[in-house]
Amino acid sequence: MNTKLARAPDAEPSSEEIPSAIIDAAIAWVVKLQFNQPTPATWQAFEEWRQAQGLHARAWQRVQTLRQDFAAVPTDLARETLRTAETRRQMKRDGRRQAFKLLMLSGAAITGGWLLREPLGWQRLVADAATGVGEQRTVRLGDGTVVVLNTDSAASFDMAAAHRRVVLRRGEIMITTGSDQAYAGLRPFWVDTPFGALQALGTRFVVRLEDGRVRVSVQEGAVRMHPARGGEAVTARVGESWWLRDEGATAAEYLGFRQDDWADGVIAGRNMRLADLLAELSRYRKGRIACDQNVADLRVSGIYHVRDTDQTLRFLAQTQPIRVRYYTRFWVTVEAGR
Amino acid sequence: MASADPAQYQRVHALYSDHHHWLNGWLRRQVGNACDAADIAQDTFMRILARREVPELREPRAFLSTIARGLVVEHWRRRELERAWLETLAVLPASEAPSPENRLLFLEALVVIDRMLDTLKPAVRQAFLLAQLDGLTCPQIAQRLGVSLATVERYIAAALRHCYALRFGA
Repeated sequence: MNTKLARAPDAEPSSEEIPSAIIDAAIAWVVKLQFNQPTPATWQAFEEWRQAQGLHARAWQRVQTLRQDFAAVPTDLARETLRTAETRRQMKRDGRRQAFKLLMLSGAAITGGWLLREPLGWQRLVADAATGVGEQRTVRLGDGTVVVLNTDSAASFDMAAAHRRVVLRRGEIMITTGSDQAYAGLRPFWVDTPFGALQALGTRFVVRLEDGRVRVSVQEGAVRMHPARGGEAVTARVGESWWLRDEGATAAEYLGFRQDDWADGVIAGRNMRLADLLAELSRYRKGRIACDQNVADLRVSGIYHVRDTDQTLRFLAQTQPIRVRYYTRFWVTVEAGR
Repeated sequence: MASADPAQYQRVHALYSDHHHWLNGWLRRQVGNACDAADIAQDTFMRILARREVPELREPRAFLSTIARGLVVEHWRRRELERAWLETLAVLPASEAPSPENRLLFLEALVVIDRMLDTLKPAVRQAFLLAQLDGLTCPQIAQRLGVSLATVERYIAAALRHCYALRFGA
């Protein structure tokens, strides 16, 4: 097929006016021949068209040059770069719109200041950090990296001469890698999980341990995921969420809320399943929240605080057709009401 | 590229000496640093010089800031692309990384492509990228996007028509 395309006539001055109907026809042929699977009959018809007039051949040749800019860059690099830029812009636009809408919807204001801030100085080796249920905690490492531990989580840190390593032992952490100025940023940054290792590349990302898998969500930069039992390493990019298992990585479904908002003390999302929201909230309190099947699929939108889950449950009961029933402090059910 | 008409040149010159300083300050507030602001101010006047005619201006600063605002948007867009480019390079194995000269050439080509894509409607852009970069055929794209084959073919044709207008001006 390429040999046919190459048989265009010699270059002509680009100032020549070609009637737009002929250009449109040439573009229609490009679509038929180069973006579809043409039959020999289609090729035959095209050849007849092309040879019918000198203008047809010149229009065809001109249209062929349009894809030259793309040909100038290796496809993989172009694809990755353009997609990353696009995702980033999209997130910026969505972020602004979303945040505003959510505030309007929930009528709730975000309050801060409840996180434990804990600078750890310049130690090379830091003891394990852990949080209880409903607690969060921020740890600063010597290289400038900030690790936020979510509820019921544990991690340890190993800042050696040749590498920086965080081991996630339980729960969920958000990592914002530091510039590592003392080492000119040359030490690789790794996060170890039971299901594989993650290599951070100048980045902010969230890692969450679950049964048999770990969820990796990238907010900035990129993370290279190496499954524990070998197999192909996969790169997670800005805006993406992945499941990493022993045997490989697969794209994770979107749950209706952003994966890093907990670090600001909230779950913020649109059109979340009530059952998903409650499951998420129950991670922040002792005991359990049971959700009745009848209301599990209700869709909710808004900003929900994780700090005071009782208050959040009251708020849900006021705004949704549900009733929250406390059997004990640790046993709560949510069912249809009103 | 500068206009040959001396009166025209005079007008731009006056615009420059009266408002260059103001424009610099205005741009510094927009982009947050003096270096980029100076560059964009320079580009703004280059843009004006390249125009076929500069009208008599009642509100020269509004005129300048309109042109400069467009350049600021382009500036941020390019920044965003450069960051994405660096991130892409960062995850490449050393053996696959392009040479320093090629990096520059590739980035310049990407800037051209990115600017072209910017003006496409999102659905058209998405379909075109799937065809051009992922090598999908129109039926595959139709399936992926959940639209009809005719729609996808119309999108691709629209994207190419747009590229044609940018390159050949018709």
